Amino acid sequence: MKQTIVPLGPQHPVLPEPLSFDLVLEDEKVVDAIPSIGFVHRGLELLAPKRDFEEYVYVAERICGICSFMHGMGYCQAVEEVINLQLPRRANQLRTMLCELSRIHSHLLWLGLAADAFGFENLFMHSWRLREKVLDLFEEMTGGRVIFSIAKVGGLRKDISTETIRRASKVLRDMLPEIKEICDVFLNDASVKHRLCGVAVMSAENAHKLGAVGPMLRGSGVAKDLRVSGYASYGELQWEIITEKDGDCYARCAVRVREIYQSIDMIRQLAEKLEDGPVDTKVLAAPKGETFMRLEQPRGEVVYYVRGNGTRFLERFRVRTPTFANVPAVVTLLKGHELADIPTILLTIDPCISCMER
Amino acid sequence: MNPNIEISELKPDFIISRVTELSVQGWRLVQMSASTVQGEGDAQQVELNYSFDKDYKLLNLRVLTVSGAKIKSVSGIFFGAFLYENEIKEQFGIDFEGIAIDFRGTLYKTAVKQPFIAFAPKKAAVPPQGGAK
Repeated sequence: MKQTIVPLGPQHPVLPEPLSFDLVLEDEKVVDAIPSIGFVHRGLELLAPKRDFEEYVYVAERICGICSFMHGMGYCQAVEEVINLQLPRRANQLRTMLCELSRIHSHLLWLGLAADAFGFENLFMHSWRLREKVLDLFEEMTGGRVIFSIAKVGGLRKDISTETIRRASKVLRDMLPEIKEICDVFLNDASVKHRLCGVAVMSAENAHKLGAVGPMLRGSGVAKDLRVSGYASYGELQWEIITEKDGDCYARCAVRVREIYQSIDMIRQLAEKLEDGPVDTKVLAAPKGETFMRLEQPRGEVVYYVRGNGTRFLERFRVRTPTFANVPAVVTLLKGHELADIPTILLTIDPCISCMER
Repeated sequence: MNPNIEISELKPDFIISRVTELSVQGWRLVQMSASTVQGEGDAQQVELNYSFDKDYKLLNLRVLTVSGAKIKSVSGIFFGAFLYENEIKEQFGIDFEGIAIDFRGTLYKTAVKQPFIAFAPKKAAVPPQGGAK
């Protein structure tokens, strides 16, 4: 059969950031997909040896505007492990809380983008309306809506009052009926199911073999979530890894929806357990040695590698972001599908090109 | 270092057999990365890290080589490696042989070829005493 190559991206209505695929089609069916990235690569890793390791936090949190806090925190955790710095309990609790708020904000953002991709404008607007409330909480707690600059090596730059935390937890619980309303549409509406159910199925074995991470992996039934390792304050929370078995676009969507509820519950637990005390500890040494640090971001496992030589300048900082890990899986998933389904499939990996083009 | 992280050094010739072994044992490729390190004298070397995960344990295979060296691709064993190998090829000049999808130097558009090699310090920095501000 005659083959046609259709370029999808780097500018495409469904792609908020530049990513490109050369889709090889036979009739309307994709038989091959060649990805192209690197359109906005920033070389942030190469900047690490030129910046003081404490100041580099500002660069690390600019890797991405959606999980900016988690990037800053992940970098700090890696440096803290090399220095062997123990953080006060309150600092870890507040960090964990900001991580879970980031997850809620990221998943609501994704739900909106997904709704927009399959033409459900109303759902898109309601998802983002709720996301605004989370951004308001960020503003109240940190002073920033996108970049918070609150994480630092050794803890947090400023304390957040217990009263503010408890109020934030209440705001989230009050949002539950509204979140449930839109999530019920995502999970039960016939038109949504029509676009997501049975599309781009990835088996657990394939997800594992292709190195998929986050909801991509858990949507295929693999119970893998780095929060289990108990970093920050996750060790003191009651929770279970959320998985779905079907491995299709709907399963990936369902994992994210259920994680929103779970994150709200985690924040409730943290607000109840919040301990009084300092939020930082003094940094008395520069990093000498190396470590790998892994965290669970909204999109999945992120890996930071830090190597210091005892000076204030790191020898190497490397970050492997979840979207980078999910690209090989999506390349495989696109094959065999109709051209009309490609935007939806692409979106179900929740691509963050800013992260990938660190 | 974290007790769940293990680093083991490996000669380049044994990469394929060791990675195949890990694949059979159910390890997942987490990432591949590279760093420049100082060898003997002023010789600059490239340190490759192949990271694998199983039951939340991180196993790193560390291979020491030089920019321009030929290393066999593991993308035939773990397809996801193709992206990491293309990245390392462009940033550090390691020539991976048999990459599943080879971008032939067009993954990133950089003003300087192999920037991590071009901007690497020529001599190891001497750490000052103390280190804190």
